[in-house]
Amino acid sequence: MNPVLPLLALGLLDAAFSGFRAYAGRDARIRKHRAVVRAALRGLAVGAVLLLAPALTAGAVLLAADDPDRAYGVLADGGVGFLVPLGLYALAVAVSLLAYFALPFRASTLAMVVGLGPLTLARPLFVAVACAGALVAGGGWTSLLVGAVAGAAVLCVEPFVHRRWYAMPL
Amino acid sequence: MPHLEISDLITVTDPLSGARLPVRRGDVVRLLQESGDPRAARIVAGLPAGRDDVLDPLAVDRLMIGVHTEMQRLSEELRIGERLVHVLGPLFEAIREIAGRRGRFRLVDIGSGLGYLVRWLAATGALGPNVELIGVDLDAALVAEADRLARAEGLDCRFVHGNAFDLPEIATVYVSTGVLHHFRGPALTEFFEAQADSQALAFCHFDIAATRLAPVGAWMFHRARMRHPLGRHDGVVSALRAHTDDTLLRAATVPGIRPLLYEPRGLSNPFCTTLRPVLGIRPYLEDPLRLAMGRASRRLVGAEQLSRPGAAR
Repeated sequence: MNPVLPLLALGLLDAAFSGFRAYAGRDARIRKHRAVVRAALRGLAVGAVLLLAPALTAGAVLLAADDPDRAYGVLADGGVGFLVPLGLYALAVAVSLLAYFALPFRASTLAMVVGLGPLTLARPLFVAVACAGALVAGGGWTSLLVGAVAGAAVLCVEPFVHRRWYAMPL
Repeated sequence: MPHLEISDLITVTDPLSGARLPVRRGDVVRLLQESGDPRAARIVAGLPAGRDDVLDPLAVDRLMIGVHTEMQRLSEELRIGERLVHVLGPLFEAIREIAGRRGRFRLVDIGSGLGYLVRWLAATGALGPNVELIGVDLDAALVAEADRLARAEGLDCRFVHGNAFDLPEIATVYVSTGVLHHFRGPALTEFFEAQADSQALAFCHFDIAATRLAPVGAWMFHRARMRHPLGRHDGVVSALRAHTDDTLLRAATVPGIRPLLYEPRGLSNPFCTTLRPVLGIRPYLEDPLRLAMGRASRRLVGAEQLSRPGAAR
């Protein structure tokens, strides 16, 4: 299995949510759908740029390798190990979001209190677990390096968007 | 040791004149240290002050607006508006039943802050067109910001700086969210008495449900959602200061008022019920209210149900 496309999709989706989080709590208006979409797009754009960093790191690893085919295989294995914890995390977020939007207000509170809130706090932890997963899956130090750069990139989207566009209440 | 909220200490307003009073940073820091809260003392010590050690009022106003804006996010996520309408909708239905369909009613939000509730009600029209919406707060900066936000979106509501009980107009229903835990001891009863003595037909005050989970949940939620340490600190302290069901019902037991609690501890999942209201209604409104609430009225209990052995506690 080639993990590049699912990882890229997850990274960009996470960037869009990061853009939303960077904006949330900065706009006290009631009607703000357009502002939410704009913030998500800003996160997506910043994420797309920052995710070039792990792509370039992976490219450099392959260029420097004596046996690029083997190095690619190792990176792919590591990528799968990196993907599994993040995939589980994304699934938990998706279920919580579905519950939040679909259920009546009491149950949606439950989705927020036991799901989305703790999952937001645990995001860096899941990135660390994903890096460990890359090692466990046989990705070696090269996968760990690419995974760490990718993790740092996605974790930087929210603070960057926040400081760039939403440092002060709107 | 008493739990103190920083925002209560750094913005002091004369309740009679509404004038802003100067606050010395050192006094607040000392008070927080004496209450055994060094973290809060450090947060205040980092706030800007002038040469006379008086906290910079403009910086405090900016901070309060920023923190309240983030607090609104929590209200949005916890669907506070829907929670209120779930109770206020039937309450106004009952009032219309008694007072006549063509009446004009007035909802007054006490301690409205940035006015999220009032603006949300105005934007959604959830209570119908014949309910005038007014937010009142002692903090002039928050009132000004609430007014700016309402005008920016063209919402049919207004905000008043001052004491909610000194308004020239008669309130039909007083409401609040997250205000009750700021009143301690006799002040809590006086708060309810002031409404019973007014011409209002009812009050409905939402506050944090005092469960064991509340402080943990508040920590997690504020940690995940709020950026400024003041907001994170006060969010947890609010949960620690939340009144129990018994305390609220006892304090709301004032002449001329039938006190009721909606979704008390024993009747609700503590994960789902982060905030729940204490209501006070004129006794003749109870039957129409229960009728308007339908099956949900089972969750509406008085002191007699709470004190019954094995009842909702």
